[in-house]
Amino acid sequence: MKIEINFQKLKEAIQLIERIAGKHMTLPVLSCILIEVKKNNAVFKATNLDVGMEIFVPVKSSDEGVIAVPAQIISSFVSQIYDQNQVITMEIVSGNLLITSSKSKGVIKTLPSEDFPTIPKVTDGQEFTFPTELLVKGLKSVWYSSSISSVKPELSSVYMYKDGEYVIFAATDSFRLAEKRIKIPKNTPINDILIPFKNISDIIRVLEHIGSEIEVRLNKNLISFTANGIYIVSRIIDGVFPDYRQIIPKGFTTEVVVLKQDLLNSLKISNIFSDKFNQVHLTIDPKGKIFEIQTKNSDVGENKTAVDAALTGDPVEINFNYKYIIDCFQSIDADSVSLQLSGLNKPMVIRPVSGDQSFMYLAMPMNR
Amino acid sequence: MNDYTKMWQTALIEIETAVSQANFSTWFKETNILKEEEGIIYLGVPNSFTQQWLYKKFHNSILRILRQMNERVRALEYVVVKEDDKKGEMAKKGTMAPTMSMPLQDFYINKDDNLNPRYTFENFVVGPFNEIAHAASQTVIKSPGQVYNPLFVHGSTGRGKTHLIQAVGNEIKKLYPNKKVYYMTSERFGSEFFVAIQEGKVQSFKDKYRKYDVVIMDDVQFFSNKDKFQEELFHFFNTFHDTGRQLVFSSDRHPNVIPGLEDRLRGRFSVGMIVDIPEPDQESRIAIVRTKCNVHNITLSAEIVDFVASTIEDNIREIEGIINVIACQTQLRNRELTINEIKNVLKNSVKPKKTVSIKDIVRIVSEFYNIDEESIYNKTRRKEVVRPRQVAMYILREDFSISFPSIGEKMGGRDHTTVIHSYEKVREDIKTDQLLLQEINQLRSML
Repeated sequence: MKIEINFQKLKEAIQLIERIAGKHMTLPVLSCILIEVKKNNAVFKATNLDVGMEIFVPVKSSDEGVIAVPAQIISSFVSQIYDQNQVITMEIVSGNLLITSSKSKGVIKTLPSEDFPTIPKVTDGQEFTFPTELLVKGLKSVWYSSSISSVKPELSSVYMYKDGEYVIFAATDSFRLAEKRIKIPKNTPINDILIPFKNISDIIRVLEHIGSEIEVRLNKNLISFTANGIYIVSRIIDGVFPDYRQIIPKGFTTEVVVLKQDLLNSLKISNIFSDKFNQVHLTIDPKGKIFEIQTKNSDVGENKTAVDAALTGDPVEINFNYKYIIDCFQSIDADSVSLQLSGLNKPMVIRPVSGDQSFMYLAMPMNR
Repeated sequence: MNDYTKMWQTALIEIETAVSQANFSTWFKETNILKEEEGIIYLGVPNSFTQQWLYKKFHNSILRILRQMNERVRALEYVVVKEDDKKGEMAKKGTMAPTMSMPLQDFYINKDDNLNPRYTFENFVVGPFNEIAHAASQTVIKSPGQVYNPLFVHGSTGRGKTHLIQAVGNEIKKLYPNKKVYYMTSERFGSEFFVAIQEGKVQSFKDKYRKYDVVIMDDVQFFSNKDKFQEELFHFFNTFHDTGRQLVFSSDRHPNVIPGLEDRLRGRFSVGMIVDIPEPDQESRIAIVRTKCNVHNITLSAEIVDFVASTIEDNIREIEGIINVIACQTQLRNRELTINEIKNVLKNSVKPKKTVSIKDIVRIVSEFYNIDEESIYNKTRRKEVVRPRQVAMYILREDFSISFPSIGEKMGGRDHTTVIHSYEKVREDIKTDQLLLQEINQLRSML
């Protein structure tokens, strides 16, 4: 096997796919990139048995061949070398991969490629196209709220479902919940999908490299995305996401409208003095026009910060985990946010006040 | 350990010697035999990668090994199984996070069948009051669509109808994985039908429901006086019932006394089995209180359990609510509540006895008997009016202790002796006339 390949294309492909390759796998070949060469076409493959990926790159080749090279080695090598000719040759020399640029040469040991698994294709099931940007936006808006623990697979997932003209992205670890609504073309046949949280970052990273439209295929066990010669497939969870809408309070008894940046700054100050549970204490008194954020740590000290805000409703004093509040601001573009409370044991609802209203966030209070 | 596990472990020992260690631990851990049907072994695997790879690389060797152990094995299929919840880890984490968690476990409603998996027979309290309903539903589960079809459960609100009929659905789903179960409220059936008419998609609406094997419909009293819905339900019923598929209905009253229900539907409802869930007896209520306490991990003294069970008589949902409040307060104060505190809790939660105006009662009675409201006040002595008038007077006297003269005055200026006569007549009649008693009980539940 001998190929000539555009240097930039090779670099991009390797960098994108290297992150997918498994780390610390019991099967060494899984930490490799498989390079399959057919007539004038090379396919780079990698998988960690949770996500699989293939990238098709046009090359100049005289024959066919397959090799598996350790992902980390080839990626480090390719990202460091420089080539003014913009063309690299890769060939198999006595079982090893020889990479030649105008200045550098590298020989990388390979592994037997027979053990490299096939990347599954979604052949049965649904098919539709989706604007890439919207999909990325939806996933990014909620995925940080998923549960990190694998105790409940459906909670360590991002949930997508259709509601009329919208596809709704939701994620919760049962302490907080994020929901994003995105308008979609009317006849997109999306059913309920649960994508594992740990695959989301890979999917987002790959999708950001792909053009404006993406082809999605979906069956009971897998979801795949295809565009521009890139194919990524992820396991999906066969489960039921809780009907979280019933938890969203219908009304509220206290509302705080505040500039996002003001709240963010005060929370950051509070964090300096927060205890090991990240507890912040909110004091809201609409009559006395008081909105204060307070933290206390017996080892460090304490602080109290007043925030300018428009307050309505009943006075309330309530504790939250600082992290659970601050997380949601990455998904809010608006300048000001509204915090709606419905008493001590009920979740606080955070929404953007002006502009794009499609995001909603729920944070549960702390016990003490 | 069952036979499959044993068989697979023996097979694994042999496979382990044939493949490399790395390959073995990557592809064969978390695999197990799910079942064997007609010589086909179904092998459960953790993901699609494993599914395809086992098929591609190891299919023949696995099959050969299995065949050596059991000659009947003809083929091998791979099924991706879903992960189970790892409950053990959960307990460890719970103590670490002082943030309250959302009560998400209550809201796992399966979108395919609409059933809430929380409603099962394991947490359904069977007592003397509901044992008939329970037995009937067990028969339905044993042979769906064959004996009691439809099963019609009625009883006033908060007696566990929804729990029972959803548990039937969940149990059927568990026992017969191939049967498609669907649960819906009548209101939903109605509103979907309405939307279907508006969008001109009546046919797809019909097709949607007809693909199920078991349909469970809650609160059919909603169809009262809705002719168009009743007609659709009637046709749906016929198609469904004729093809031997199971229907389960619930309602807050017997089909015979649902006002404004077409006779043909009434007849259809009575074809199978109609069971009543009456008021729970004291022992059952105590059992229910105890079960609910267990759910919340609180213990109440016998005295308190007794007190709660005797204070709330007819509504299990209210008992549940009270236990929730008690659990919450116990957690808040971090100690057991005293009987006086419980009394306080109950005082706030038990709704006061309703007061109803004479006019309202007359209106409800006349609606129930489908006669003109005015005719009750009039002097007419037509038979279809006389009986309702007497019933109205009886209820006013018996349940609301209104004096005879004032009942007479409000009911179109009648003499108090007329009222006394009506009252006594109805009181005597209900001793022998079961239907009348039932009607009056229905009326009472509507007030």
